[in-house]
Amino acid sequence: MSATAVGGGAEQREIDDRDVSVGTFVQEKEPYYASAFEQVQRGTLSRWHLNIWALLVPWLWSAFRGVWVLFWISLAIDVTAIVCLMQVVKFSPLLAEAQLNPDANATLIARYSGWITIYSWIGVLMLIGGRLWMGSSANRLYYSQYARWRINVAVPSGVSMNRLVIGVMVMLIVAPLTTYRATQLRLDERACFNNIRAAEGVEALLGRFDANSTAELVSVLSSEIAQRESRLETLNALETLSDEQKSERAALRKEARDLGRDRQLTEDFSNISARDKFDCYFIDDFPTLARLEPPEDITYRRVPDEEAIAAGREGATKVIEQIKDPVEGRKVTVFTYSAESIDISINYLRAQFAGGFDAMTNVLRQSLIRVEVAFMQTPWLVVAFLFIALSWAFAGLGTTIFVASSLAFLALFELWQIAMQTMALVVVSTAVCVLVGLPIGIWMAKNKWFRWITEPILDVMQTIPSLSYLVPAVAFFGISQPPAVLATVIFAMPPMIKLTALGILQVPESTKEAALAFGASERQLLRKVELPMAIPSIMAGLNQTIMLALSMATISAFIGAEGLGAIVTSALGDAQAGKGLLAGIAIALVAMMIDRILKGIRNSFSRI
Amino acid sequence: MSVVELENVWKVFGSRSADAMAAIKAEGIGKAEVLERFEAVVGVKDASFAVEEGEIFCLMGLSGSGKSTLVRHINRLIEPTSGTIRIMGEDIGAMKTEQLRATRADKIGMVFQNMALLPHRSVRDNIGFALELRGMDGYTRAQAADKALETVSLHGYGDRLPSELSGGMQQRVGLARALAADPEILLMDEPFSALDPLIRRNLQDEFLGLSQNLKKTTVFITHDLDEAIRMGDRIGIMKDGEIVQIGTAEDIVTAPADDYVADFVAGISRLKLVSASKIMVSPDAHAATHGPIDMANSYPVAGPEDDLDSLVGLSTGADLPVLIKHDDAVVGIVTKDTLLKGLQGGAEV
Repeated sequence: MSATAVGGGAEQREIDDRDVSVGTFVQEKEPYYASAFEQVQRGTLSRWHLNIWALLVPWLWSAFRGVWVLFWISLAIDVTAIVCLMQVVKFSPLLAEAQLNPDANATLIARYSGWITIYSWIGVLMLIGGRLWMGSSANRLYYSQYARWRINVAVPSGVSMNRLVIGVMVMLIVAPLTTYRATQLRLDERACFNNIRAAEGVEALLGRFDANSTAELVSVLSSEIAQRESRLETLNALETLSDEQKSERAALRKEARDLGRDRQLTEDFSNISARDKFDCYFIDDFPTLARLEPPEDITYRRVPDEEAIAAGREGATKVIEQIKDPVEGRKVTVFTYSAESIDISINYLRAQFAGGFDAMTNVLRQSLIRVEVAFMQTPWLVVAFLFIALSWAFAGLGTTIFVASSLAFLALFELWQIAMQTMALVVVSTAVCVLVGLPIGIWMAKNKWFRWITEPILDVMQTIPSLSYLVPAVAFFGISQPPAVLATVIFAMPPMIKLTALGILQVPESTKEAALAFGASERQLLRKVELPMAIPSIMAGLNQTIMLALSMATISAFIGAEGLGAIVTSALGDAQAGKGLLAGIAIALVAMMIDRILKGIRNSFSRI
Repeated sequence: MSVVELENVWKVFGSRSADAMAAIKAEGIGKAEVLERFEAVVGVKDASFAVEEGEIFCLMGLSGSGKSTLVRHINRLIEPTSGTIRIMGEDIGAMKTEQLRATRADKIGMVFQNMALLPHRSVRDNIGFALELRGMDGYTRAQAADKALETVSLHGYGDRLPSELSGGMQQRVGLARALAADPEILLMDEPFSALDPLIRRNLQDEFLGLSQNLKKTTVFITHDLDEAIRMGDRIGIMKDGEIVQIGTAEDIVTAPADDYVADFVAGISRLKLVSASKIMVSPDAHAATHGPIDMANSYPVAGPEDDLDSLVGLSTGADLPVLIKHDDAVVGIVTKDTLLKGLQGGAEV
């Protein structure tokens, strides 16, 4: 007899004695539900057995009993039905209007009456059919909730006034507004826009004329206008006017006209009906809530520092800021405000840390030049031989043939040098990705908080349209190869980081434990256990990074990257489909060559 | 001095384990209350035992009884919430990181249920891992690894990858890895549980043989009572994080501490476990029921330490009861009835 068999009997299980009877679950009307549940279990409950409460007030019944599935479905069905019925209310006045002149509006009358008939039929059918379905499904849904409750106490049970209140509140938020909206025709967007403009204009006027209310403003404006008009009258009464008086008259007319417009605006604004305001704020587009003063328009520039130069420091520079006068009365949305603020910050950073940016640009440019030299000035025969030899050594015959024919394609179409340029761009970008991404990935795997922060950032980096990367790159580094490399790096790095972290996190806890048990330090654990075991994942990350870098090569051509991508973009500009297609195929071939060879190398080195 | 010594070790899991521990000490609250009040789980409850040099101490319990948690306290892979653990007299809880690592590498070898070998290293490099961590040069390391390989009869497998070996062979590598640094202490966490029965038995025997030669102090974790009885000089039975009984296999089989242990040992064969002294009837009591023994008859004779198996051998074919003699004096008598009852269990005197 084995110990495990004994164990089966000796193992202690804690079964808590929870009362799972139907009575406890339904709390009220037990006899009815006990019999209904039994019928559901036996499969004898008739389709026409209707729960009368669920039929009449399904949302109230389901909220009261916590059958939220039915609550939402019944709410959706009922609201949709009501919305359909409301179309009748919406179109009836239009139909009546059209019928005033039946001859001219024959098509309109036919269309409106058709809509009214269809919508009222759909509404009525949904209302009746929906209710029948609710009444007959209520007990089944309630039973399945009972079954779930027996397993999990957290499933709602019994009856609860709180839930009823919540249900009513949900209905109050959803139903009336939706129903009202269904009776209204589509709002004129401009009307709402004018509302906002009027509100802003009136606000400015209130300030200018020092008035407290719109009524006061109207009277102030009226008196101002009256003043000017009386003066105009005196001037008009004169027989002859001097040049001075003529220009005064013209000025007065203009002023009176402007003031008249302001008064009109104010009156219009105070005449906007409450219903229009309500419509604008609640039943259509999200209302524009905030209009802000735009941020100060500051430009930062780095200029020669005369004082320091005079004091003997040659070539000294300093940052000056120039503030432009704000445009009077200009208000901006939150979006515009933030966008302008970001512009100003970029401008500031660019001016303040010019040295740093230039140094970075230089490093990138220099390394790019070196790698380009390596790829482009090595004789084509040597490069081709190396490629073919690598694929032969690591990836087998098929890949070798593929690589050879791809190289032939590049040579035949005279894209060789340009492809090598692309290759150089990819190599430099990938190198930066690895140098930066690997440590970040390791840190991410090791530190929960850092991971918590970095993960969403990486997701955003991967989701932002790749074109968006070009803009800040240009803003900071101008247009040339280095910003193209940077944009590529940002675009291509996330998989490197993520897969490094993933590889390390995937190392089994027991293996790490064993290493620790034999006295490994944190560093030894990383170097001798975690990193070696993460190699396959890291290599997959490297592969993806290279592919992304290649795909970015085309896009970064917009900001000055040279190579195959530049051909594609220029072909795009001139609508030369053939040229673009051939260059595109060349990019794909380069990508596939690198991918196949890397895969081969990976497989032959992978010992796991 | 004991090699491994645990004193009132507690482990409480949970973010508020310190509060829970304080409450346990002050108020003596139980597991359920700890869970309810502090959302903490008691993993090990007041465990104390000592393992002597060269002894194999088996910790036996069902899964979830805390035996794996407890054994990880010995090399401080898990920090105790309270209590002291001493390795050869030294408090391991007070060690600095460097010293702790040295102790782990030099003094304690560990074998894991799932082997936990490094898949990217050859068998030889796996075995030399602990030595490598201590900075030993490659040549000496390879020598030591090959020697350890020979010990576990895997000579010539040094250049294979772990994935090329069968489960049983992998566990031999695990054992070799633990032995390579020649540690004083071996921690075996269910080393043979994942293997099939024949290989398990094989490895058990081999380990017992090794153990007799190497004299390693061993803490052996198992959920299998048969294995515990085979391997252990002494056995500690764990239940719900608590050690409910410590004793030799015979102690545990003949005098279980509670119903739980009794349930466990109910099906164990007593033939090889129980000795004559546990079931024999004193000569006087025998005389009272059966009359005095006639010394003229040739009774079969056994010693008090002989197991029931040998008594059965003596009794079969003989009509007379077996005399149990110690220093030539009759200390007890075993009739066939006594023997049968003793085999059945529950007839201990």
